[in-house]
Amino acid sequence: MENQLGPVWVIAEQIDCRILPVSFQLVGQARILADRLKTSVETVLLGDQMDAQIHQLFAAGADRVYLGNAPELTYYQPEIYTEMIVRLAKAHRPEIMLIGSTSVGTELAPLVAARLHTGLTAHCIDLVLDDKKILEQKIPAYGGMISIICPEKRPQMATIASGVFPQPDLDENRTGEIVPLEIPAEIPHRIQTLEIVREEPDGIPLESAPIVVAGGAGAGDPEGWKIIADLSETLNAALGSTRPAVDEGWIELESMIGQSGKMVSPELYIGVGLSGELQHMVGIAGAKVMVAINNDAKAPIFEQVDYGIVDDCREFVPVLIEKIKEYQEKLVTC
Amino acid sequence: MFKIVVCVKAVPDPKEAHKIKIDPATKTLTRTDVPLVLNLLDKNAMELALQLKEQLDAHITVLSMGPPAAGNIVKECLALGGNQGFLLSDRAFGGADAYATAYTLAKGIEKIGAFDLIVCGMASSDGSTEWVGPEMAAFLKIPVVTRVNEIVETGKEWWKVKASLENGYRLMQVKLPAVFTVTRELNTPKSLSFSGIIKARKKEITEWNIHQLGVSEKTVGQKGSPTIVSDLATVDGKRTVELISGTREEKADQLVQKLAEAGVI
Amino acid sequence: MIDFTFTEEQEMFRKAAREFAETTVKPKISEMEETGKFSDELVKALGEAEMMALTIPEEYGGLGLGYTVRMIAVEEISKVSVAVGMMLQVCALGIEPILKFGTEEQKKKYLPAMAKGERIGSTAVTEATGGSDPSGIRTTYRKEGNEYILNGRKCFITNSHIGDTITVLAKDDENPKAFSTFVVEGGTEGFKPTREEHKLGMRGCNTGELAFENCRVPAENLIGEEGKGMRVALSAIGDVGRGGMVGCALGVQAACLEASVKFANERILYGKPISNLQTIQNKLADMKIDLDAGQLLGYRASSMQDSGMRSSNEFAVAKYFTTEAAQRAAKMAVDIHGGYGCMEEYAVSRYLRDSFVLGPSAGTSDIMKVIIARWVLS
Repeated sequence: MENQLGPVWVIAEQIDCRILPVSFQLVGQARILADRLKTSVETVLLGDQMDAQIHQLFAAGADRVYLGNAPELTYYQPEIYTEMIVRLAKAHRPEIMLIGSTSVGTELAPLVAARLHTGLTAHCIDLVLDDKKILEQKIPAYGGMISIICPEKRPQMATIASGVFPQPDLDENRTGEIVPLEIPAEIPHRIQTLEIVREEPDGIPLESAPIVVAGGAGAGDPEGWKIIADLSETLNAALGSTRPAVDEGWIELESMIGQSGKMVSPELYIGVGLSGELQHMVGIAGAKVMVAINNDAKAPIFEQVDYGIVDDCREFVPVLIEKIKEYQEKLVTC
Repeated sequence: MFKIVVCVKAVPDPKEAHKIKIDPATKTLTRTDVPLVLNLLDKNAMELALQLKEQLDAHITVLSMGPPAAGNIVKECLALGGNQGFLLSDRAFGGADAYATAYTLAKGIEKIGAFDLIVCGMASSDGSTEWVGPEMAAFLKIPVVTRVNEIVETGKEWWKVKASLENGYRLMQVKLPAVFTVTRELNTPKSLSFSGIIKARKKEITEWNIHQLGVSEKTVGQKGSPTIVSDLATVDGKRTVELISGTREEKADQLVQKLAEAGVI
Repeated sequence: MIDFTFTEEQEMFRKAAREFAETTVKPKISEMEETGKFSDELVKALGEAEMMALTIPEEYGGLGLGYTVRMIAVEEISKVSVAVGMMLQVCALGIEPILKFGTEEQKKKYLPAMAKGERIGSTAVTEATGGSDPSGIRTTYRKEGNEYILNGRKCFITNSHIGDTITVLAKDDENPKAFSTFVVEGGTEGFKPTREEHKLGMRGCNTGELAFENCRVPAENLIGEEGKGMRVALSAIGDVGRGGMVGCALGVQAACLEASVKFANERILYGKPISNLQTIQNKLADMKIDLDAGQLLGYRASSMQDSGMRSSNEFAVAKYFTTEAAQRAAKMAVDIHGGYGCMEEYAVSRYLRDSFVLGPSAGTSDIMKVIIARWVLS
């Protein structure tokens, strides 16, 4: 009997009772892995009023959904969610567990991994089964790519950002098994999510913008950052960044592009004052034209773009903005 | 007295970190001599502890796992206002993944004694996993709030804090003792002061090796890590760049022209 | 093995000074260049950061960290703005006569406030008739009851207008060979800062003239013995003044090297960064050699000073070397930048102007050589 390996699991996430795109992407990838491992895909879904959406998980490739569906589960509750997933994992022994690297996933995954005494890899940009059927979890580092494996402990756990894997084709005819879950009684109650507050983000979402301008440490200071923001505005682009810009406080974490941030696939990408570290560059999936402006001729980004300008971005970008405005005016008057 | 443990990490200076590269021939890292500095987000963790010290008359213990050189960053934290420091240092702790790191730190905390709050930066600039805080909490069997960006209310036992979410936050009510991992937005860290450095002369840093910590070799370092690095590879850039030159005006003109021709602006 | 490394603690002091320079001093540079004024905010910030407390012992409200740490602080601040480095170094210069020759009452009266930056000091020796030749000064004093009456004018005095606790060298009006040094406080009748200078460099560092017209100074403000004041003023300048200039010059040298490396890596000519070209590499090597040499000379002198040894000769060597080297470094830096080096947006043009003010401060290069020759010939 081939099926000795445990299932491939996806811990799905919902916000406002809607399953996030990343969960479907992971189910799609889980299906590919499970088929190679000759095992099944199972999903854990905790929330409230989720009934209407479960079929989408089956359509994406899941064979079974463990469903916790109750008002107490509307919000992510750390102790309850962790306990439910850990108990299920101990009972059903998944081979692999995938979780979206959202804010919540990034907290939930290590809580589960520690309880299961297993390994967990953050922000993978690829998952590949090697010839021993071990999961190779690939992350960018040190200007290259490193592969991490969890050779002995199970499940092999990984978090993956939205956009790394494509949305799977949905097969509406697929069905699966629903296993309803009870909330365990004996859970310590030392932490509770009282409410979740969200604001609509301003501007064009990075993931769908046709033009993306990304800034990095080379901006130097808030004044320099404003110059880059002006460029983005002039082009009606979405403004993104590398991690250093977030660390400096020039822009919020949500605008970070890269391995632990957003994935973008614009027509035009302009990287300003950033060196082109792999952690950022892997966030750019197939831009049509890529441009870099950086004052260091040796920066790695100059090997990864179509057009490069070696110059101080604080001096060059204002000139570029003027030229773009001239060009835009000509377009209007034609 | 309210007891805080701040977990800090010595990381390669982010300004120089790009010099560390993978050598494709030997599959090892080059230029690993980049100087170590205090992880940026740990400064926000220290700042929270210092503000609470003032507010609640707290005692701050600084804890780090690292090579002997990491002692400098523990000293720096004492100069910022920490009361005492502990450095977990042993060859056996080397090569630890997040799980083993969290386990080792948790053991260190258990040995240090009772505490009310553990604070650390949400991530380090070199590992960037964000795992250590939550995994420590799991090993210590206490709750954790990650990505704390505001302390809303302190109390005798129950605190209210905001945890950052994409485009918003979750308001958490949590019973101490607990772990908080903090974001950049939480506060603005104060700088080192001369008199702080002088006061740190009298403060103690205790170093514990594996025997003093009282853990088995199998549970720490590389041996205690469920994950390992199986391969290091370089990645080829996929595009050949055309460097545009000339005066600033000429460069800008040319770039606009090329982008217009490509139909992307 | 002779230990040429700084201690861990000294490295931490350096870090603290650098953090201050980058977060608090840097934003003030363009304002200082434009207005030529030293901002009150910055004076307050320097005081709060304990920058003036370094050389004052703990018993008088200071940190008692000594002259090496002081040089480190001046160096780090001067890397970002030598105008601020200069202001700070002259504060310590003003503190020194009181510290070394003052009575217990004088120390208790002035030092705690100077440590906090609540009193800003300077030492005024130079006049139109003598700077390199201090015996040529014409400001006189005469005793009248329990006061001294001062008459004269000092010029090129740093912190002339923002200072309020100035140690002044004057000549006995009846005996041209007798000199005395007094603490003159701001607001004293007959004392006022008059003309403010507009310097080619170190803009924002306040330099100006002081006028004494029947200025009545209380007798208890005499520092040291009457008639023996030359020693008081010159020993302060010889160690602390020169030491301060070394810190300033090292900062300028380091800034020139850093800016040059950055530009050389960015500027593409012949399809490659100019850092690949040997003529550029020669200049960078020269700057590095001078910087290493300057640091060794400077910190040798400050270490000797800290251990209580006589150090004014070693400071003369270090002062000569570093201030000359800073001027060379600035020229090389501007040359490396080509046309950009002449443009105000590029910091190296400021370094060039700043470097020229290093030479004549705290004794000209020619005077340094006189001192060094005297040392060699003795």
